[in-house]
Amino acid sequence: MTRSGHPAAAAAGVAVLAILVAPFLALAFATRWAGFHLAPGDGGAVAVSLGLSLVSLGLIALAGTPLAYWLARRQGRGGGVIDALVLLPFLTPPLAMGILLAALYGPYGPAGQLLERLGLVLTNSAPAFVAAQIYGAMPYYVVAARAAFAAVPADYEEIALTLGKSPWAVFWRVSLPLARLGLAAGLATAWVRALGEFGIVLIIAYFPQGMPVKLWVDLQDSGLGAVFPLLWVFLLVAMPLPLALGIFTRRRYA
Amino acid sequence: MEIAYRLERPIALTARLTVEGFTVLLGLSGEGKSSLLKAIAGLLPAAGEPYGGLAPQARPVGYLPQGAGLFPHLKAWENVAFALPRGPARRAAACDLLAAMGVEEAAERRPAALSGGERQRVALARALARRPRLLLLDEPTAALDVATRDEIAAELVGRVRRLGIPALAVTHDPHLAAIADRMAVMEAGRILQQGRPGAVFAAPASAGVARLLGFRNLLAATVAAAGPGLVRLDCAGLSLLAAAPAGAWQGRAGVAIRSEEIGLLAADADGEGPNRFPVRIATVREEALALRLTTAGPPALDLLLARRDLPAATLAPGGMAVCAIDPAHIHLFQPPP
Repeated sequence: MTRSGHPAAAAAGVAVLAILVAPFLALAFATRWAGFHLAPGDGGAVAVSLGLSLVSLGLIALAGTPLAYWLARRQGRGGGVIDALVLLPFLTPPLAMGILLAALYGPYGPAGQLLERLGLVLTNSAPAFVAAQIYGAMPYYVVAARAAFAAVPADYEEIALTLGKSPWAVFWRVSLPLARLGLAAGLATAWVRALGEFGIVLIIAYFPQGMPVKLWVDLQDSGLGAVFPLLWVFLLVAMPLPLALGIFTRRRYA
Repeated sequence: MEIAYRLERPIALTARLTVEGFTVLLGLSGEGKSSLLKAIAGLLPAAGEPYGGLAPQARPVGYLPQGAGLFPHLKAWENVAFALPRGPARRAAACDLLAAMGVEEAAERRPAALSGGERQRVALARALARRPRLLLLDEPTAALDVATRDEIAAELVGRVRRLGIPALAVTHDPHLAAIADRMAVMEAGRILQQGRPGAVFAAPASAGVARLLGFRNLLAATVAAAGPGLVRLDCAGLSLLAAAPAGAWQGRAGVAIRSEEIGLLAADADGEGPNRFPVRIATVREEALALRLTTAGPPALDLLLARRDLPAATLAPGGMAVCAIDPAHIHLFQPPP
């Protein structure tokens, strides 16, 4: 047996990899590069997607990190129930989640009516768009971040305490830096999920239109060939961060 | 320094011991020795003195976990500086501490690039940075290479002694206990014996202590006659003379003899002496330059002969020889009631 493994396994691996990569090659060939141009309104969709996804990503990191840390370090009973609660939004299909959100935050939903009185409309608005992205992407971040924190031996945190640091300082100077690669991978996944969120957005935030909905609308109006330019932008915007992080993390641990 | 701690979880134990200079707490794995250190450092819920009730960050202890526990994402000097207040002099202070531990050349390296001994010294420098009044060391020799372990252990003990900070090290390594200033032995969640290593090794208080100290021959005996400083024992059909520690010796007694303190003579050896008796050799095994033998009982004995002590005749299973034990090397202890 060589280092690269069994020849048959290698051949099968290459074949499957080719199948996985094939659609991207197809896009490269199908695009009409002469006269490559975005459709009217595509620029606005890119701006909406990028701007609001950044907001969502910030909120996800802010709210998801303490939750993930608590999940990784909590002891005691009720573990099964809490795990189930974490997995629930993670496993719910986006379309179903969209309908659930419409029922809760929609104009006739209990939370929707309450928030509307406070001036926060969670239907077809920028906050609704961000809410849709958060519900779609945060579970992915929390699951990844929890694993990242769990992989940090609690010993290091204990030693840091005995060196006179407060629990808060220990979190910032030991737990967070030691979990940083896993957290970054979780953020990259969340970024792709947020940017690509379609099912939830379709139900509660059709407007403002980000790239996924705009792609869908263009596809309905003008056909496949017309959406390739925006699709290129979409892929180029969504991919670099997670790809770079993925390669970086692999190198780090290789 | 007097230490008195009681733990319920993860293991029930009560420890009351004196820490003086470099003190070693000896016990088998799973006795809860590490838990005791963590409790003293405030990392496990426990009641005790000193520092009982204080948060871990408020206890003036330097805690060195097994394998030193250096932060892998920080360089050696950054590890040391971790406990120092922020300021321009931080780096210089950290490097001074590294230099005091003799590892200044490691300052720019990360823990993964340090040897076991270097890691331990960096961890010691880091623990000293917060000016502890008690050092707690968890199995300080466990992560060291066997080839250099005893040397590094001796150096560690010397270093800690020079610092003048009382240190409590827990270990299952009797060698570390042997070179300490003071030792205590723990079994079944209690301290069985404590004192100077010389005194404890010379007079183990029970079979459990003797076993932890490396005694392999633990026998039951009856006191036949007791005189000043000496007792005559009936032990598995043999009549043995033993140096008796102070106390009233009568009835049953436990006997502990170290494998390397039983001499072996050729079967036809001349001469007289106390505690000489013929034995049949049961097994012979080479242990590097020494030879480990067992004898067919009773009593079945375990011997470790250095090569300079080997009789001229070849030793083989089934062969006859004569055992000789100095009365001073037969240690008596009171049997369990």
